[in-house]
Order: sequence, then structure tokens, then C-alpha cells
Amino acid sequence: MIRDITIGQYYKAKSVIHRLDPRVKLVCTLLFLISLFLTRSVMTYLLATLWLFVVIKTSKVPFRFVMRGLKAIVILLVVTAMLNLFMLKGGDVLVKIGRFTITEAGLSATVYLAVRLIYLIIGSSLMTLTTTPTQLTDGLESLLGPLKKIHVPVHEIAMMMSIALRFIPILLEETDKIMKAQLARGADFENGNIFHRVKGMIPILVPLFVSAFRRANDLALAMEARCYHGGEGRTRMKPLHYQKRDYIAYAVMIVYMVLSFCGGKWLPLHFWVF
Amino acid sequence: MSSIELKNVSYSYDPDHPEDTTIEDISFKVEQGEIVGLIGQTGSGKSTLIQHLNGLLKATKGDILYGGKSIYTQGYKLQTLRFEVGLVFQYPEYQLFETTVLADVCYGPKNQGLSEEDARARAREALGLVGVGEKLYEKSPFDLSGGQKRRVAIAGVLAMHPQVLILDEPAAGLDPEGREEFLEQIRQIHDRTGMTVILVSHSMEDVARFVDRLLVMNKGKLIMDGTPKEIFSRTEQMNEIGLFVPQVTFLMQELKKNGLPVGDETVITVKEAVEKISEALQ
Repeated sequence: MIRDITIGQYYKAKSVIHRLDPRVKLVCTLLFLISLFLTRSVMTYLLATLWLFVVIKTSKVPFRFVMRGLKAIVILLVVTAMLNLFMLKGGDVLVKIGRFTITEAGLSATVYLAVRLIYLIIGSSLMTLTTTPTQLTDGLESLLGPLKKIHVPVHEIAMMMSIALRFIPILLEETDKIMKAQLARGADFENGNIFHRVKGMIPILVPLFVSAFRRANDLALAMEARCYHGGEGRTRMKPLHYQKRDYIAYAVMIVYMVLSFCGGKWLPLHFWVF
Repeated sequence: MSSIELKNVSYSYDPDHPEDTTIEDISFKVEQGEIVGLIGQTGSGKSTLIQHLNGLLKATKGDILYGGKSIYTQGYKLQTLRFEVGLVFQYPEYQLFETTVLADVCYGPKNQGLSEEDARARAREALGLVGVGEKLYEKSPFDLSGGQKRRVAIAGVLAMHPQVLILDEPAAGLDPEGREEFLEQIRQIHDRTGMTVILVSHSMEDVARFVDRLLVMNKGKLIMDGTPKEIFSRTEQMNEIGLFVPQVTFLMQELKKNGLPVGDETVITVKEAVEKISEALQ
């Protein structure tokens, strides 16, 4: 019933992108996201499109899988686009329907917003699709390592993240089970007004919370039974080491950033008048 | 009158690959008042199958009749079907949610549209059937022991006065003594209310004594249908699909092979076995 959520879902495949060090992927994704906001030149976006295309191709993740992540933000996208389109005023009036006007500024803001948001989601879901949650948190822990000096509990944060990610599918399955059990007792989740429906969620949420706490308790016990005591002096089975391909990836990324920035600055082929 | 009838029911979890079936071409009839056991290994499709009987899953192929009427006809009220065909899932204690035991059991009857008073009367009756004492009524269901929680959860379904009661591994996770007592109680509820009962289990010992008829599933297919005695006489065929006949049945077969004249009849209870052996020894 709720299987459409792809954020944090890993797609298993054998590709260079999959084999890259998670730190490389984290840094590159961050840089890519920044590049989207650096300039407003069409060049930057053409380059970003090309970049995404090449990354998707090399990662061997099917295109429709990448797109599935967008489903989750469709409503957000439509609402913000609408607000921008009709609320923002500036430049010539392009369309006028009754009280609603669409201006040049509104249209351009909408286009930029949509493109940025979509690329942002595609860019970050490419990272989660090609990196296992464990790798991701390992990478994050290692990247944020220096913050330990100022007493940021980096290890604990990373551990919480990996546990949270690990439990998403379990809790989804649990929700499904509980929903079915309450349906079997005549629950009705589809009809009635909002108030009625929200009230109808209680028989699902209470057992779900109870089971989440029970699982948390069990997990804490299991971890303690294996002498877990935090990050201090903890070694890894697979420590992260940079390989040749990782340095190459960094180099490619730097070239991309330079091109994107300079292209945007010196070839300001802007969309309309901006 | 037949209570539930399945006609060539197949189901696939993946709509893109309808040929990847979890259950395939299943047909059987259950008569009103029967007590039927459904057995098969883990992953044989038992749980998937029973979710069809109250319309939680919709068969990709085939038809299901309840009381002679197809539940897939346009406009059929599935909610009403679910009151008639009560389904108790595995580990039902994890679905309790109310603040008191009584209120939780009232949830089903209230969904049926009964008044607060009627719902309470139903709840008391159902809790009585499963043997939960009055002093627990106002307690939080989360404070009960595992066995008590399960009884309360089953009462939650019984309170809807279903015509058919389906129990998925009702004895899972209970200690041997608890299992025995629990299954005996279900048998008694059946005798008292005249409900049709479908008992899902992978333990032969459990079902052998409590059911009139057994359905055996293997890899999504229904492969045997008969009385426990008929089915357990086919020891080899059962072993082939990884199911074992009750130990006492096996013992009697071995005794016979080794020359003790215990007769040809398949024995499924210890009591019978004791009689047969002492007879043979005299």
C-alpha cells in the first residue's frame, strides 16, 4: 500500500558509481546541488542535464526507478509552482485571466524553481539509489569526523541515522499488517470526513508506536549484549579507503563545477530577460 | 449450505508478472459449522490464501463465493463480509490499541454500528468465551501477559459474531501447556457457537486433534483435502513436501512395520495409541 517511497532505497547493480567511496558520492552530490543554485544561466542547466544523464547511464539504475522518487514531491512541486506563477509580479504581463495574472518574473521563477527542485531530487536520489544506507552513514561519519573535536556526537548521529533507515521497511511492513488487522475488524479508512478519518488512524498509530518502542528496546538490549559502547575505539570491518577511481571522480567533479560556474558567468544565455 | 467456496483462485503480488503466483488455482468448499485445518510449510501461501476469504486481498484470477454469492460482484459490501468472516492474524496481540480491555473488544461491534451498550454486552460475552475474567476488563491491554493479550485480541473478533472464524497460527509462541488449553478452548467455542472455524498451522500435532478436515498446501497449491486420518496415512507423500505426520502416527506405523499387531487404522492421538498398543500387547 505504501511502497512508493524511494528515498533511502538502494538499487543493487554493478557499476562504477556503486563502487565509488560513499564520501565521494556525498561530497559530489552536495557540490552538484550547490551548482544548481550558483547561476541562473541556461548553460548551467544544460550542463546539469548532461551530467545527470551521464551519471544515470553509468550507474545502470533504470530511468523509471530514478523518476519514482519524484512522485513523492509532485504535490509540493505543483503547489509551489502555482504560488510562484500567480503571486510573483514583475516584468510584462503575459497572461491575464480574471483576477489572475502571469508575469514574466513569475513565469521565470516558476521554471527555475521546478527545474531546480526536480534536479535536486534526482541528484540526491541517485546517491541513495547507488549507496547502501550503511555505506552512507559510514561516509557521513567519516566526513563529519573533525566535528568530534568540538564535541559533536558524530558517531551517535550516524548510528541513529543508520538505525532509522534500517527500520523504514520494517515499520512499513508493520503498518501494512496492522492496517489489515484493523480492516478485518471492520475499520473504514476510506470514507467519512477528515475528522472521522484522522480518528480512524488511532487504531493503526497506537499499535505502531507500541511496536516501535518494543523493537527499540529489543535492539538496545541486543546491542548491549554485544558490548556496544559508542564510537570510542570502535573499529570497522570495512574501513573506508580512497581508490584511484575516487580521485578521478573528484577531479571530474571539480571540472564540472568550474565549467558550470564559468559557463554560467561568461555565457549568460538567460531564459528570457534575466 | 456451503459457507465459503473458492473457484480456481490465483493471486500474484506483482501485477506486472501475473504468472508469478503466490497461490495458484485453489478450489475448495467449506460447509457451515465445519472445523477445518489448513496446513503447509512456511511460505506455502497459507496466510495469503486466508486474506482472500474476507476480501483483504483480491484474487488475480478465479472467484470466491460467500453464502452462494460472489464477493467480487460490483457493489458487494466488503466491510459487511469482514464482520461475517472474522480473521485473526498471527500474533494478534500486537493490534490492541484501546485504553481498556473492554473498549478494545468493543471496537469491532462499534464498527458494525452497534450502540455502546450492545457493543459492551457483545464484548463481555466474547471475553467470557475466551476465558478472560471480569477483573481484567478495565485494565490496559498493554499490562496483560502475552497469553491474555492474545485472548483479548481473539475476543475482539468473536465479539462481531462472525459466522466463520479464521485463525492464523493461533498457538504460535505459546508454551506447550498453553497451546493445548488454548486450542481446546477454540474447539469449545466452535461447539458452543456452531461457527465455521478455519485453523491455519504448520504444526501437525496441533491440528490433528482439533479439526474434522485438513487442507494441505505446498508451494501455493492445494495438494490434499481429507480427514486427518486419511491425510496422515500418506506419510511418505507428506514427508516429500517437508511436513511430518504427528509423532504418535509415525510411532504406530513403525511399530506395525516391526511386527506389533496394532491394526491398519491410522492413529492420530496419544489416547488411541495407548488403547491400540495395550490391545496388541494383551
